[in-house]
Amino acid sequence: MKKLNNVKHNKPVLQMGKMLFAMAMALQLLFVAGCKHDDLSVALPNENIRPAADFVKNNYEMRLFYAALQKTGYTEQLNGAGPFTVFAPTDEAFNRLGIYSTTDFDKMNVDSLKKIIGYHILPRKLMVNDMPSNGIDVRYATLTGPELYLSRAAFNPNGGVENELYIDGVEVIRKDVVVANGILHLMDNVLKPNFNKTVQQWLAEHADYSVFVKGLKKFNLWDQLATGTTFTIFAPNNKALEDVGITEASLNALETGKYIGDRLFGAYILYDRHFFISDSQVFSLINNNGAYNYFLKNDTHYMNFGGGKLYPEFKLGYSLTLRSGTTISDIILNSVTSNLTAKNDNLCSNGIVHHLISGLVTPEQALKK
Amino acid sequence: MKNERILKTELTRLSWLFATCLLLLNSGCVKVEYSKIDDPAYLRVFNNLNYVQTLGSKDNKVPFFCMLINPVLDGNGMPTSAEIVGDFLDQRDAYAPPYPSHIGTSTSVNNPEYPGKENVLVGPILNGFDLSSWAQVPSGKMRIMFAYRPKNTVPFFQLENQQKKDILIDTVLNLTSKEVYTLHVLQKDFVTKRTGLLLRQEVFQKLPLSDSLTYVNFYNMSAKGYWEADKSLKAEDYLMASFQGGMKDEMNVFLSLYEDQSILNAKAATIPGFKGKYLANVKLNTATSDVSPYVSFPIWASNTGNGITTSMWQRFDFFVPGMDISNNPFYEASTDNGGNWVSVNCLQNGKVRMTGNDNAAILPNLLVNIHSGVNNPKTFATVNTIEVVNGRVYLTTVQRKYAPPIY
Repeated sequence: MKKLNNVKHNKPVLQMGKMLFAMAMALQLLFVAGCKHDDLSVALPNENIRPAADFVKNNYEMRLFYAALQKTGYTEQLNGAGPFTVFAPTDEAFNRLGIYSTTDFDKMNVDSLKKIIGYHILPRKLMVNDMPSNGIDVRYATLTGPELYLSRAAFNPNGGVENELYIDGVEVIRKDVVVANGILHLMDNVLKPNFNKTVQQWLAEHADYSVFVKGLKKFNLWDQLATGTTFTIFAPNNKALEDVGITEASLNALETGKYIGDRLFGAYILYDRHFFISDSQVFSLINNNGAYNYFLKNDTHYMNFGGGKLYPEFKLGYSLTLRSGTTISDIILNSVTSNLTAKNDNLCSNGIVHHLISGLVTPEQALKK
Repeated sequence: MKNERILKTELTRLSWLFATCLLLLNSGCVKVEYSKIDDPAYLRVFNNLNYVQTLGSKDNKVPFFCMLINPVLDGNGMPTSAEIVGDFLDQRDAYAPPYPSHIGTSTSVNNPEYPGKENVLVGPILNGFDLSSWAQVPSGKMRIMFAYRPKNTVPFFQLENQQKKDILIDTVLNLTSKEVYTLHVLQKDFVTKRTGLLLRQEVFQKLPLSDSLTYVNFYNMSAKGYWEADKSLKAEDYLMASFQGGMKDEMNVFLSLYEDQSILNAKAATIPGFKGKYLANVKLNTATSDVSPYVSFPIWASNTGNGITTSMWQRFDFFVPGMDISNNPFYEASTDNGGNWVSVNCLQNGKVRMTGNDNAAILPNLLVNIHSGVNNPKTFATVNTIEVVNGRVYLTTVQRKYAPPIY
């Protein structure tokens, strides 16, 4: 203080004071500046991204899907506010169902087509990252109402990354396409929901499986298929049953008392489970084990079910191997690999029906001893 | 005149300084609300409903819960809030460590126990035992709910309404102030799939336990009918080795102490006097909450231990009464023994398998070897609980407060 009052030394002190003052000011400025949060200028989103229906329209890979959208009157809604998630099947997917041109939709009942097309659309935005990792059968309500089943393989037991996505057993071949009002995923096949139809009704409606149906009826396995329990049916068509020596005529001649029905026709029924073929693939990725082994109901014979991507097309298929017992040395009755992907995964109210390309059991193999 | 000017400058400067200080003080102010629970009880919760994701079990409900204590329900019986929420309660880990150390290393929200990763008030040091793995909860009667929740990262109360209604357990517990409890969510019957709770009032903090002995007690909290059930109904987990199939309802436990946990062989040298030593009898019990008696072994049993650290490890063999290591009829690597013989090795961090033939599940060493004071590592005696639940075996370790490391 003494020095401060000394006029002689006043100037340097004053200068130091000024400097301090300036520094204090600068410090304050820094504080204020530090608190200021400018709005970051983010690049404006591309306003030219098209809404979902226009996007589908402008992609020639999805011409048939667009025709279906038009036919069912979804185009306007899909160009609306959203958000939507569209699972769009490719033209190839429709081709596999025998739909080759836009006029083919004219032959269909518009209401049922609308239900099925609406089942491919979710009234929400769902990107792959929003789906639970390694989630199995995660259900999402569709525009039609009923839920679809989503399974996603995201990582394997060793922690490695997997990236496969299946909807109702159908592989998503291109994920997360951003459109103006949502997301689009490209599907390898058309979803096949049957809503309130049971597996029994489904089989009854398909003339291709009439021998199988007749056999089920003959061995008292038919009525259960209308009940509420769950079934996975590996349905052999008439041609497939012919391979194992079963035709309509031979069925008429068959004496039921001599044969084990739970083997002859029960072999095609998996009780209390609903498996999409893709489930096997997903579990082989996330759990290293996609197989499921089970005894046939009321029989000693043992079935091995396994699915996955089959060489050389790497499309989903499955195999069934029927043995006389559980061990590896037991006799293999038959082993069938079924690869008609587009005809599998028919989702019914009480289970799933898959197409089987060849029969499993000959009548001789099911004889009672 | 000049003086006046100086005075004026001084004043301005001072006022500026004052303003700066005020600014600093103000910006440094944070309002901290400390929570406090009067008369707490100490609670640790384990979800013993385990699962393995397989094709055959894909339709089973995943036992992934949100625990709600004193929930508030709306008119439809849907919880809207709760006094204490233990969300993302996953199946328990094989090892429940003395400190909630999984907080530091985990990036997932899934909680292998409560409190675990939850940021809540935890227990104090009671009689030397660190209760930081126990949460403080209000004592007295409380309503507790375990609600199924989807396995994702969305907090329970932000889930869609229809996902909040699936309640597994809704019951009332009565906790006494300042007591230590462990609560287990269990499957009580393997055939009927009946589940329930088991609340155990722990006593370790009241016992006069020596700090040169390691204590352990055993429980079999398996579901009734598990070991009898067909193999195809049980989850396969090769890491659980002989435990996969479960063990019989009454078993004798034998202890072997091995000299060196760096030698990964169950035929390695054991400590004299500790090879297949009878330790305890364990019976299946999911109904009563009695604490099993603690049995002990000295931590300095080995001659190679130097009073600071020892590399001893433990093996527990569970045999059906009448059988022991001397008349064991099974091959040493036999894992499928009809529930007559199961075993577990406790060494290192519980992740290493034996190199030779062996049928044991693996768990961490009961002894805690950790840097404390100038010693790295220093071996500490602990109090342990080994619980067998269906095809799995779990270890819970409680440790006394120890001196921090000096580097």
